Amino acid sequence: MKIRVFTAILVCKVIRCLAKLMGRGSSLPGKYALKICPDILSCLKLPELSIAVTGSNGKTSTVEMIAHVLKNNGLSVAYNKEGSNQIEGVVTFLIGDSTMGGKVKSDVVLLEADERYSRHIFKYFHPKYFVINNLYRDQMTRNGHPEFIKSIIGQAIYDDMTLILNADDPLVASFGKGREGTIYFGADNLPTDVKTHEGIYDDGKYCPICKSPMEYEYYHYNHIGKFRCTSCGFARHDTDHALTSTQETADGKASVTIDNKYNIPVFFSGIYHCYNILAAFTASAAAGIDPAKAAEALGGYILKSGRISDFTLGKTEGRLLLSKHENSVSYDRSIDVVVKDKRKKSVMFIVDAISRKYYTSDSSWLWDIDFEKLKSADIDRIILAGQYCDDLAVRFDLAGIDSGKIKVFELVTDAAEYCRNDLDSFLYVITCFSDKEKILSEVTRRELA
Amino acid sequence: MNVKILYLYPDFMNLYGDNGNVRILERRLQDQGFDVETVRKTITDKDICFEDVDFVYMGSGFESNRNKVASHLAQFREGLVKAIDDGVPMLFTGNSYDILGDKIEGANGEITQGLKLFDFNFKEQSEKRFTGDVVLEDPETKDILVGFVNRAGAPEDWDGFAYNAIKVIGNVPLKKDGVRKNNLLGISLIGPVLLKNPKIAESFVRIICGRKGTEYKEVSYPNSERSHEKTRKALLEAEA
Ligand SMILES: [Zn+2]
Repeated sequence: MKIRVFTAILVCKVIRCLAKLMGRGSSLPGKYALKICPDILSCLKLPELSIAVTGSNGKTSTVEMIAHVLKNNGLSVAYNKEGSNQIEGVVTFLIGDSTMGGKVKSDVVLLEADERYSRHIFKYFHPKYFVINNLYRDQMTRNGHPEFIKSIIGQAIYDDMTLILNADDPLVASFGKGREGTIYFGADNLPTDVKTHEGIYDDGKYCPICKSPMEYEYYHYNHIGKFRCTSCGFARHDTDHALTSTQETADGKASVTIDNKYNIPVFFSGIYHCYNILAAFTASAAAGIDPAKAAEALGGYILKSGRISDFTLGKTEGRLLLSKHENSVSYDRSIDVVVKDKRKKSVMFIVDAISRKYYTSDSSWLWDIDFEKLKSADIDRIILAGQYCDDLAVRFDLAGIDSGKIKVFELVTDAAEYCRNDLDSFLYVITCFSDKEKILSEVTRRELA
Repeated sequence: MNVKILYLYPDFMNLYGDNGNVRILERRLQDQGFDVETVRKTITDKDICFEDVDFVYMGSGFESNRNKVASHLAQFREGLVKAIDDGVPMLFTGNSYDILGDKIEGANGEITQGLKLFDFNFKEQSEKRFTGDVVLEDPETKDILVGFVNRAGAPEDWDGFAYNAIKVIGNVPLKKDGVRKNNLLGISLIGPVLLKNPKIAESFVRIICGRKGTEYKEVSYPNSERSHEKTRKALLEAEA
């Protein structure tokens, strides 16, 4: 073994220990290891089984679910926790799990792979399975548009990998074109599906391969559904594993069924969330876990996502639905939750910091969100808050929502004060994790109902 | 009175909430008392007619889409040129204005011919996106435009660009930007440019009123004004 490799591993482990002692986890150890040995990743001995997960949404929950299933079935798993999916983070967690000789000790390496960095990481090692869940318009200021991301992910794909693809997302499914042995997951036709496209823009309107118009038999949401190109023959692939039904009982309990026989209790049965479960199920089955056992493990898994927070504010009770700024699909799904609620309710949208570092002019994504859907819901008040309240106000004005219902506040504290004093309808708050504390610090938190 | 907006490729070139520009203009024209008709023409249409059109808009798209549009729109170049010469106001935002130039060199070296209304060229790469906030200034009027750029290419040096980039925050290799010809404006800024730049929106509406022979009525758009002021102040104060 080269001394350079040994030094890199040693330095990485020492810094990691020190960082842990100081109560900090970071990708700094990996950074130093890479300085000493830039190709350290190709020097590590990985286990037979490795799985990488990428996509615009749900990477972290999918990875955590797969880890849970594998561990539940007796396998030891090394995986990167949130925030360390760039190359330095990957080096840090792999060396953290390896011997001084560079052998990764766990049975499985599981990787949350950043869309943009996979191509750099997979130069050094190829995961056996590569799960691609979805490609949406997501933080396009940072990531670029979906077709750009597709080309970047494409550079990370090698012939010796097995792809596990969402069959219902045309851009994702197009990775499988001409690749034997690709594994597909998707949802069957569900009662909640729609025949015509809903939303402000349609990224499934034209074929990702030949750019001819596509036809859909049904949509699950946005451009996710059963598609077929009218020209080149590209169409939704048959699935290896499918979401066959979702159930919601009157007492609020929900479950999903995969392959007509595996029933999995879930916290909420929103189709958007189901794809993460289905991706985790499919990856686990591919990794050799008995599907029944995978389903059992998934059923016992409580998602720690914190996507929902319940609270009390003055006379009103409310629920925060965590969404992502610069990701219209996540906002659209939160709006669906509001529309589905038949009570009289109010909604607060907070857009205060799009970038955590500086004020950016890019609020263009607000025009991709289907706020128009709120017209048909029984809405008491709409509260627009944060530094971008003027942009929101213009957007809502043009959504055709009665201006008498709309209140605009530059400061979240003022918006909270207004709700505390004047609101008696149930309040939904829709915002991003970067802005959520601004409202949560104003309310009394309640246990999830 | 009726005004007609021609919205080019609304489903093919609508990557950054570009639909907002058409909606903002519709609203402003309605506020002037016009009945607004918006005609949408896209990549599958066999004909695009620029006659009797009062405003033309196109937004940004995937580079592959824009290249398809370049050859599709070339079929209707004659009508477009005539409309520009007649002074029809037009707005091309984001990478849609690349098409107005001589040619675009793609990341893989392939050349997409532009409509050759101007003789600028864009050169693209696929390694990274050029993204960032910019403040543009008209050197003569000192008018300021604010907005965001998110594109794959940069223009080659050319004398004819209309604006100087007086502030760039982020990775955007841009010193000058934008073209004007009669009442056409092409600009790299993406998204709802007319929200962040109410002066531009107003000038288009004034031109349309003038061409229609109606008097422009003063209407205030305080949210849009505040958004512009706030953005301009923040960007000019920010570290580049
Ligand atoms: Zn096709």
